[in-house]
Amino acid sequence: MLKDITLGQFFPGNSVLHRMDPRMKIILLIVYLVGVFFAKTFLAFGLLMIFVAAICLMSRINFKVIIKSLKPILFIIVFTAIINIFWTKGDTLLVSWGIIHIYAEGLRAALFMILRITALVVGTSVILSYTTSPVAMTDALERLLSPLAKIKVPVHEFSMMMSLALRFIPTLVEETEKILNAQKARGADFESGGLVRRAKAFVPILVPLFFSAFRRADELAVAMECRLYHGGNGRTRMKELHLSSLDFAAAAVTLLGLAGIILINKVGI
Amino acid sequence: MYSTDIKVKMNPIIVTENLNFEYPAEEGMGNRRNLAAVENVNISIEKGSFVAVLGHNGSGKSTLAKLMSGVLTPTSGRVTVNGLDTADDKNLMNIKKTVGMVFQNPDNQLVATVVEEDVAFAPENLGLPPAEIRERVKNALETVGMSDYAKQAPHRLSGGQKQRVAIAGIIAMLPECIIFDESTAMLDPTGRREIMDTIKKLNREKGITVILITHYMNEAVEADRVIVMNDAQVEMDGSPHEIFSQVERLWQIGLDVPQSTELIHMLKKYPQFAEIPDGLLDEDSAADAIIKVFRKENKLS
Repeated sequence: MLKDITLGQFFPGNSVLHRMDPRMKIILLIVYLVGVFFAKTFLAFGLLMIFVAAICLMSRINFKVIIKSLKPILFIIVFTAIINIFWTKGDTLLVSWGIIHIYAEGLRAALFMILRITALVVGTSVILSYTTSPVAMTDALERLLSPLAKIKVPVHEFSMMMSLALRFIPTLVEETEKILNAQKARGADFESGGLVRRAKAFVPILVPLFFSAFRRADELAVAMECRLYHGGNGRTRMKELHLSSLDFAAAAVTLLGLAGIILINKVGI
Repeated sequence: MYSTDIKVKMNPIIVTENLNFEYPAEEGMGNRRNLAAVENVNISIEKGSFVAVLGHNGSGKSTLAKLMSGVLTPTSGRVTVNGLDTADDKNLMNIKKTVGMVFQNPDNQLVATVVEEDVAFAPENLGLPPAEIRERVKNALETVGMSDYAKQAPHRLSGGQKQRVAIAGIIAMLPECIIFDESTAMLDPTGRREIMDTIKKLNREKGITVILITHYMNEAVEADRVIVMNDAQVEMDGSPHEIFSQVERLWQIGLDVPQSTELIHMLKKYPQFAEIPDGLLDEDSAADAIIKVFRKENKLS
């Protein structure tokens, strides 16, 4: 059960979005998010939705998966929509019933809020988490943040820690399962009793887990040293990141979209 | 037969001279004496040879391995790798590049979430250009027969496959010598076979010096030289045949002998088998010797 967890929800593939340089993806995601927050009119949101639909199609990820990504925030979407509907005041009164007043502006604000949150979540998932492997992501972050190393920020060390953590998640999950079974075989009970009792029942799992994690860390450090690891200085990479024409095209499209949204705002249509 | 004296060798890669290593005594223990893990070891490892180091748990064999690869530095005495002293920090990179080490638990040696990126780890640390790293990774994976798994995640592989990836990660540094510190101990019989075949291939085809730390006798039999450690010291040193002929002595220090050697040793209590020599290492030669005895018996009767 625990074994089948997917790391960071990455779906391997070979689509246009998968092949893009992860650095460019991170930068363009930021541009895209700015666009999402700038959009204020129907036309702007229309443009945004076309963009979202386009990247969803390009990613070749199952549509059901994308819909599923909205599930955890369904509550927030509904909640903000309701608040916007009932609390926004405007000029055109649609319904007036007792203390409830619904204005056209409220409906508009609610719709925009729903679209904005959807665009935010779907865009981030499709551009980054679904189509970028965790390794590529840490790699890209390391390179994007590398200028910070000049002011003594340990960028390489952080990214090394990140990638090692990612590497050891499945190993530790497997280990947890083993310890869990071993304790169950000794009659440990994890299912009954109150919250405190159940929490206490996990102590015999956490203690051996931590113990073995420290031992692993120690062995790993020696093994890494034996493989000539001496920090980020003078280290090269097998996979170099190259910006291709694909990345520049994507950048052009995204920037055009942002410019379009800003223009629409200015003109006010 | 104490043969701890240095034999004159033609071309040694690793030489230890009066090597001692002590682990500091733990705080709060009644016995404050430091624990000697390696005592007065003088050995020299010939280039291109295949040496097995045997010994029971706590005999100091793993410590010896770590001393020879520069992971630990001697308390006293000296270890040199290609003439470079491991106690000198300036030499360490060079020594670690020359002497690679493969450990017991494959999980704790793999650093990346993709096989080929893990193998690339050491060449990346060397600062090689990407094209050369790619070439080395490809060759290393071919050598261990894992090319088909280059894009896989290590945690989806079997124990033997993981260990082969770990070996590829070391081969990619192009070391002259690889120390296997009980690298088969956690594997199932299939995995163990895979690793032993890989080790033999590295030694015979690539000319890499192999030091195999193990407590499996049938693995030690495959070496050209066996060193037996006991209580932090070198107890015996010789060819597998010389070592495994001394069945009683090995038993005394708590070690086993290969099954066929043990069978012959026990049969020798009976007069008709008494003339079979000790130290037959594999099933075939043991079977031949036994059949020979039966044939002779039949002729006589």
